[in-house]
Amino acid sequence: MFRKYRKDISGWLIMLPGIILFSFYIWEPLLASIVMSFYSAKGIRLERFVGLQNYIAVLNHPDFKSAFSNTFSYTFWSLIIGFLVPIILAIILNEIIHFKGFFRISIYLPNVIPGLAVTIMWLFIYRAGRTGLLNIILGNFGFPPQAWLTKSHLVIPLIVLFMTWRSAGATTLIYLAGLQGIDQELYEAATIDGANIWARLKYITLPQIYNLARTLLILQIIFVFQVLYEPLVLTNGGPNNASISLMLLVYKYAFEKFDYPKAVSVSVIIALVLIILTGLYNKLVKENEM
Amino acid sequence: MFKKLFLLLLLTTLFFLVSSNILVAQQKIVLRLGMWPEPTLKGDVEMFERWKKEFEKKYPNVQVVPATYKYSPDTFVPLAESGNLPTIFETWFTEPQKLIAGGFVKDITNELRKKGWDKLMNPSVKNILSKDGRIYGVPRDAYALGMYLNLDLFQKAGLMNPDGTPNYPRTWSELAKFAKIIKDKTGKAGLCLLAKDNAGGWHFTQIAWNFGAKLEVQRDGKWYANLNSKEVISAMNFVRDLKWKYNVLTDDPTSEDWGSGFEAIATGRSAMYLGAQDAVNQPTQVYGLPLDKLAIVPVPAGPKGHYSLMGGTPYMFSAKASSEEIMAALNFLEIMGKAPVVTPESLAGMKADAENRIRNGVPVIPSFPAWIEPNWLKAQEDIVNRYRNVNMALYNDYYNWIKKRGVLRPEEPHLTQDMYAELTKVLQAVLTNKNADIVKLLDTANKNLQSLLDTYINKK
Repeated sequence: MFRKYRKDISGWLIMLPGIILFSFYIWEPLLASIVMSFYSAKGIRLERFVGLQNYIAVLNHPDFKSAFSNTFSYTFWSLIIGFLVPIILAIILNEIIHFKGFFRISIYLPNVIPGLAVTIMWLFIYRAGRTGLLNIILGNFGFPPQAWLTKSHLVIPLIVLFMTWRSAGATTLIYLAGLQGIDQELYEAATIDGANIWARLKYITLPQIYNLARTLLILQIIFVFQVLYEPLVLTNGGPNNASISLMLLVYKYAFEKFDYPKAVSVSVIIALVLIILTGLYNKLVKENEM
Repeated sequence: MFKKLFLLLLLTTLFFLVSSNILVAQQKIVLRLGMWPEPTLKGDVEMFERWKKEFEKKYPNVQVVPATYKYSPDTFVPLAESGNLPTIFETWFTEPQKLIAGGFVKDITNELRKKGWDKLMNPSVKNILSKDGRIYGVPRDAYALGMYLNLDLFQKAGLMNPDGTPNYPRTWSELAKFAKIIKDKTGKAGLCLLAKDNAGGWHFTQIAWNFGAKLEVQRDGKWYANLNSKEVISAMNFVRDLKWKYNVLTDDPTSEDWGSGFEAIATGRSAMYLGAQDAVNQPTQVYGLPLDKLAIVPVPAGPKGHYSLMGGTPYMFSAKASSEEIMAALNFLEIMGKAPVVTPESLAGMKADAENRIRNGVPVIPSFPAWIEPNWLKAQEDIVNRYRNVNMALYNDYYNWIKKRGVLRPEEPHLTQDMYAELTKVLQAVLTNKNADIVKLLDTANKNLQSLLDTYINKK
């Protein structure tokens, strides 16, 4: 019996530190928060089992509906504004012959700056009145100054624009690596067959990075669905809840009201939505493949 | 034989070492002082060093450990749960009930009774710090909202009296007119109105009260939201006019918060701003406004009232602190001059505070009494008079006003921060959309607050 597993022992031993760390730092807190969402608590000390009461309270809270629909709106806009940008950048970078290193670094640079610093920088860009950077630039063309982040229909796209600026660089590098893995002989053969640049793009480049793009798409959805500090710093969810997100709701429950059971209830809801979305997405992609 | 003797010697040494350790441990009470100033505030640190030395001389069994802590909701719980909260720390008057409910702070009723301080606390302040008849904190000071003026802008707008005092607006409708004059003559905002976070609802409450609003009402033992009364609607209409009719606010009120408001007053971005006397170091020490350019005056009166919203800063205590540690902390407050007792040390503490203010360019003005001990109040007044570094004519109207009966009004009693959050949402909608439907927005806010009141308050 034991002998059967003996050859696996060294493998398990190698994994052991990882498993311990995972279970202690990731799985245990995850499970603990799921448990907590069914309890009432003082601080983080559980008091008594309350069943679904936290979930009911959270779902009935006036802010939940806006937060829920806004979070989808963030995801939607991030796909409209943000999804194609890294792909296009990567293709351009791949075609550039001179100063390649310079452009690569430039594109990646926003990722190096601490998140909060970048957010505050963008606060100055979007600032209302004549001292905002965007207003100064537009003012040169004769546009009157605007209070950008106060426009409830514009605020989410503006925040997404900033998020794209900030994180497109990292994704671009991944695409670039994918592009550089394409066999050059394919292009040479296509060129000999008389394919122009668009045909090469359509028949070689895009199919080659299709799988990569598919993975990054779902990663982007998961990432954007948890948007927190951008609206927290830029607008604090305003104006009139136009930019509040589910994670911001979690933050408010946990760090403004010290109501941890409700905070984890919203987190569990976020996780459930993401699991459903991922499942749906994988199903769709599979159907398309057939 | 020799071996036995050696063993005995070893055991006795060990015993003495352990017992002396226990003795020392029993003797030394450790007081972790959370309000210790940040290292950058050199003058303040020196002042605290002196207090520490004096304290340790008087109470040799207490060891004071500096533990700089600035209360902030996002760091508080981990600190409290891990047992690392300082013995004593400052928080805000909106927090005590939340902290008591979470079991993060210590019930100090017995210690206060021992000192006799439980009877000396301003009753409305005591109410804020108590639950079920037990007291959980002591006030550092209280505040009452007034209006900060930037006299430079008043000068430029020709709104100064010959005697050097500002000609300031007495009513909210006058405020709109004065603000318009300032905007026209200087190009700067007349009023900095907050609408970024809950502070928006907080300042709006002050305005709405003066329009006659009562935002929460109790009927038959139940609490009802009252955010859509006609008084609130007219106050909100007034705010809309400030933005869309008179255009006298700063560029984007939805990005203004408590701190940016003081920055606006200090740098001349705005001429008027609602603020209380306890934050007077903000425009001066923090943002460098010269002392002769600042005045604090009463909040403009509304058509149906003239109230000042009051709140303050309490000291609270770690739930894990022992009774001795609490007593040590209270004794330290005496040395600082923040306790309701007049002793040579407390007098010296008050003096040190006043001298420190003078060094840092902060007005030495009366604080708002959170204690009602007459001798202590008198001592405080004497010191403020002796160290005065500002023209009191710029502050007298404010102080005379808040001393009047019925002017001070504590914040609405239940889910105050949630109520502010609801009001802030409406403010944001009104200030960003000229055609916002105020009645509909307030109806929604009222419904939202009512559902929260039903969930958390009326159920009990």
